[in-house]
Amino acid sequence: MKRGLLLAGLLTLFLSAPALAHFQMLYTPESALNQGGAMNLKLVFTHPFDGDHIMDMEPVQEFYVVHQRGEEGEPQQFDLKEYLSEITWKGLDDAEGKAFDANLPARVVRSMGDYVFVLVPTPYYEKADEGYIQQFTKMVVNVGGMPGNWNEPLGLPAEIVPMNKPYANWTGGVFTGVVMSNGEPVPNIEVEVEYLNVDVDMAANAFVGEPKIEAPHPAFETMSVMANDKGEFTIGLPKAGWWGIAVPDVVELEHDGKEMVQEAVLWIQVTDIP
Amino acid sequence: MVRRGLILFFLAAFLTIPSLAAAHTPLFACFDNADGTIYCEGGFSDGSTAAGIPIIVTDGAGEVIKTLELSRNSDVEFDKPEGEYSVLFAGGEGHEILIPGSQIFE
Repeated sequence: MKRGLLLAGLLTLFLSAPALAHFQMLYTPESALNQGGAMNLKLVFTHPFDGDHIMDMEPVQEFYVVHQRGEEGEPQQFDLKEYLSEITWKGLDDAEGKAFDANLPARVVRSMGDYVFVLVPTPYYEKADEGYIQQFTKMVVNVGGMPGNWNEPLGLPAEIVPMNKPYANWTGGVFTGVVMSNGEPVPNIEVEVEYLNVDVDMAANAFVGEPKIEAPHPAFETMSVMANDKGEFTIGLPKAGWWGIAVPDVVELEHDGKEMVQEAVLWIQVTDIP
Repeated sequence: MVRRGLILFFLAAFLTIPSLAAAHTPLFACFDNADGTIYCEGGFSDGSTAAGIPIIVTDGAGEVIKTLELSRNSDVEFDKPEGEYSVLFAGGEGHEILIPGSQIFE
């Protein structure tokens, strides 16, 4: 009887646990810059709504930026791996994990235009699933207000292509994107959305402070929306800050004798109307 | 009939022209290359090219030192003038941007 109660209690705990989603973060404080200059980015694998569970990253497979100035400009790709250094990131739960810091010199982000940052992490082994996850992560910065390649697909195995500028969104607006795989839309796939619910201390390499909002129900932590038959989805943007959009299981393949899922992540920034 | 057509035409023009103008803000930036040269680039907020736009470099007294134009890549490079200077993006009325040399950094 006692054992049965214990099992029932454990089951309840399990069922009521928040729906935690892994998000590869590619973070910088401001994505709409009036002027270019040196830039610092943090690469952290975490649960952004809770600001905890920092997962160890391995040296990344690829980290680059595609810059384009003006719609008629030529896109130029620059490898950024040389600017990476390993750091330890601390979550709100004080647990730590391996992450990366990217210190970009001013010459990298100097010209006006769009800078589409792309991170391809080494596949992460998720023990619970006995398989690997690899999130192709994009974050777009603009300098000076001149648009460029913010809405151009890069042909990644898993990719979210924006239909709104990811760096120019007012609170209360909506964001539309297209889920793609190797340049082709992925129809009727589930899209997950999570708010970066904690403050980021760039100097301390840590999430700090208290969570900004409290979810009334686990479904509000990682929200879901289905893409339509053209791979398009739209989400509302009710609060200023960074929002992570992830598309799980875009591609399923094998890696080191285990199952691996390739997923797409895009970060967008939302700004309050002054 | 003609009158109605004219009204519709002017209404369409009234509705369309201001939005076109508002969606076309000039953008201009200059950098000191730290090798004795200055690099400038221009464009418009709708992403359109600024190729061929005149770039006028003046000295502290407002005298023209040199007149250049943006290349097909909407950029230009020139020797850094001695003393005070300014760089003007001369995109026509309402499309001019003046950058003083004191605000041009590496």
